[in-house]
Amino acid sequence: MEIRIRGVSKYYYSEGKTIKALDGVDLTIPANQIFTLLGPSGCGKTTLLRCIVGLEMPDTGEISIGGDVVWSKEKGISVPPEKRGLGMVFQTYAIWPHMNVFDNVAYPLQVRGVPGDVIRQSVEKILRFVQLQGFERRPATKLSGGQQQRVALARALVAEPKVILFDEPLSNLDAKLREETRKELRAFLTELKITAVYVTHDRVEALALSDSIAVMRAGQIVEIGTPQKIYFDADHRFVADFIGRANLVKAVVRAEEDGHTVVDSPLGRIACQHRDIPVGSEATLCIRPEFIRIVSGEQPAGANLVNGRIESLVFVGEVYEAEIRVGEERLLARIDPDVRLGEGDAVSFTLDPAHCLLVAL
Amino acid sequence: MAPARSTLTYLLIAIVGALTVCPVLMLALGSFSEGLTAFGDFTVDKYVEAYSDPAFLEVMVNTTLFVLGSSTLSTTLAIFLAYLNTRTDIPFKFLFGILSIIPMMIPHLLFSVSWALLLNPSNGLLNLGLMQAFSLESVPFNIYSLGGMILVEGLLDLPIAYLIIAPAMGAFDVTLEESSRVAGASAWRTLFRVTLPVLRPAILAAFILGVVRSLASFAVPQVIGMPGRVHVLATHLYEMIATGFATDYGKAAAVGMSVLAASVTLIVVYRALTAESEKFVTVSSRGFRPTVIELGKARTPLFGAVALLSFMLIVLPVAVLLYTSLVPYSMVPSARAFSMMDLRHWASVLGDPISLLALKNSLFLAVAGATLGVVLSVFVAYVIVKVKSRASGLLESLSYLSFSFPGIVIGVGFMWFFVQTPLYATIWALLLGYIATYLPYGIRPMSSAFIQIHSHLEESSLVCGASPMTTMRRIIVPLLVPGIVSGWILMASMFVRELTLSVVLSRPGTEVLAVQILRFAEDGLWGRLSALGIVMIFISTTLVVAATLVGARFRIAEAA
Repeated sequence: MEIRIRGVSKYYYSEGKTIKALDGVDLTIPANQIFTLLGPSGCGKTTLLRCIVGLEMPDTGEISIGGDVVWSKEKGISVPPEKRGLGMVFQTYAIWPHMNVFDNVAYPLQVRGVPGDVIRQSVEKILRFVQLQGFERRPATKLSGGQQQRVALARALVAEPKVILFDEPLSNLDAKLREETRKELRAFLTELKITAVYVTHDRVEALALSDSIAVMRAGQIVEIGTPQKIYFDADHRFVADFIGRANLVKAVVRAEEDGHTVVDSPLGRIACQHRDIPVGSEATLCIRPEFIRIVSGEQPAGANLVNGRIESLVFVGEVYEAEIRVGEERLLARIDPDVRLGEGDAVSFTLDPAHCLLVAL
Repeated sequence: MAPARSTLTYLLIAIVGALTVCPVLMLALGSFSEGLTAFGDFTVDKYVEAYSDPAFLEVMVNTTLFVLGSSTLSTTLAIFLAYLNTRTDIPFKFLFGILSIIPMMIPHLLFSVSWALLLNPSNGLLNLGLMQAFSLESVPFNIYSLGGMILVEGLLDLPIAYLIIAPAMGAFDVTLEESSRVAGASAWRTLFRVTLPVLRPAILAAFILGVVRSLASFAVPQVIGMPGRVHVLATHLYEMIATGFATDYGKAAAVGMSVLAASVTLIVVYRALTAESEKFVTVSSRGFRPTVIELGKARTPLFGAVALLSFMLIVLPVAVLLYTSLVPYSMVPSARAFSMMDLRHWASVLGDPISLLALKNSLFLAVAGATLGVVLSVFVAYVIVKVKSRASGLLESLSYLSFSFPGIVIGVGFMWFFVQTPLYATIWALLLGYIATYLPYGIRPMSSAFIQIHSHLEESSLVCGASPMTTMRRIIVPLLVPGIVSGWILMASMFVRELTLSVVLSRPGTEVLAVQILRFAEDGLWGRLSALGIVMIFISTTLVVAATLVGARFRIAEAA
């Protein structure tokens, strides 16, 4: 089901100051996608999720789920959370400690007055789906973190909601389990054909899980796109910087040549991915460390060839992380371990114009 | 939802405020009044009279010595026991758990009486026994002295000091000590330069709480101090309102004001210190077992000391009371004494209409008071924990205010209040006074129960499609039940043995157990006293055991 959010704002008042947790958010979350709200803590992503599910009331705007308006300031519509028919997995999982696994999972059906034998079948089916069959009688407090997470997922899915919401559901798991659970979750959600809204501050999680990502900052949506678009072709400096490690260099647009936008920068004249920026204006050149290609030996001077000196070289396992000094700039680069280089060596590298991004200041 | 919540908050502020601020206000107004019948006519005479009394200086000196002495004793013993339990290989560690809980089952009044029975100078059992054994000319000990009072009060305050210090020592980050040892300091030097200074906030907190409790203590000064003519503030105050025809509630209020001020100040310091000690104590070494210090040769004598303390705190008082309730008059245990044992004291107590009335009143107050107190506590704790606003902060301060009230002083305040109302000399006056004074004991278990109910547990029920009423019935109430039960039992066990407030508010017809026991003590009817005391200990113990079992079940449910 599609979720439409129009002009939603939410204010908090604290010590005489007004904090805009959400500042006029417009967003359409397409049906049957895994849609991630990504941003640093305090950006409003959780508040937006809680507005969708109905645990927070926005101060302005309208929210509709699958064509039904669930919140509208103007029309005075406010559907309480229990009437919205959604599923949600909380950050703490919120497994009720006084019930066993079966009762936790059966709860949404029980409160809907579903007959007992139907409940038993549905719970059994959903527990098999999340690979917890045989755990029905286990007390909720006797579950590991990963099992609690799956009980929470089963409980959110058991009533077959059209939309499921996740509030940082992996942040309480350890690193290894987090990676496994992420893959599982992706598999579950793809199989189900369900609209999933996922909140996280972890960029890797967002990139690995999502069909679409909305990056948020200070109560506003900065940019929306596929993981590839957000990572490779971000329009905003904030997004490019937040989604991955990036070298950000000041540049001035000089010309349009061969479908590239050409800039002057401390690295010299660089051809970049095309952007509609007027000649003469300033921009930020964004280069990801993995797209700095070291060239060995004599190379013909050509497009985007830069000379520098290796300042430091750190072995981190799969690659060397090098700091390359070009004039006053220091660039972070990831270099293959088999390239024979040492600290202080002069190096040349090329930059593929397709991976030289110009982003707004 | 929001307006309903703030209405609830203000309603509770009004109720709790009336319960806790009202007696203080009446105490203050009373101290500036001529007398109970002349309320409101402003005068400072009572202050002049109270503080220029030549006996007052001696009372102050006694009080200071008593309070500091007993707190020092209880804190030192607590540090000793906590260190032995958490850091050494002393055997039978379960004894420490018992030591910290059992004394709660033995009311202070009975503990004091049992020590008076053992060590009084005329026929104390232990004194007589020692005289016979060593053929002494005179009794070796006189409990009716300042030293005796300090000993008994120190032992009484030991469990609470232990409960503050032991967790702090248990959570202590041993790497702090280890780095001191690596730096070249000896074990002793490390103890005094690192361990104790780091634990200073907890130790100071235990000491200050000891001061507050001994300042408010009435049982020990009355039972042990009065026969030896050692007056402290609590008994000085009690004399003004209880003896003879010239009761002077104005003067009592004037003295009470300074006791109250001292107590409130100390509690403010105490709360600041406990906040500090939580900040100070590092729990980073979880999973590591602290290095256990081997006691070696000292193991047996140290264990002997702990065993002796347990015996003095737990076995002796109950044994003495049971023995005294069965023998016709005070005598050293012997074959003859055992042959003369009968149930005459039990029969006379159970046939005494006033004792039976006291039992009935105490049971009523325990059941009705704990029920009302817990209902109030549920709402107060809900607002304190779940409604975060300036008003709920005020409610929290108000509801913990009575934690610092010395019972006898606040009793005088209530007296000034109830005299103006038809509640005077009724059981309802006691009921209100109990709830007001012991409210924090009900709120504490309730608020920890509410804290455990993360808001997500409630919210996820709503998202699952349950209405707020269903959520209340299926999620919130079941999670609260253990807190409600243990809060009820805790309050009920406190009400069964309540003395300090009752001694002021109780009137003919509204006698309660503790007051009746005090009357027996004043009349020297030790046999009947012991029999009634055993009944009281039995009720109290049953309740505490029940509370412990419920608490343990709750912890098991919460674990993992």
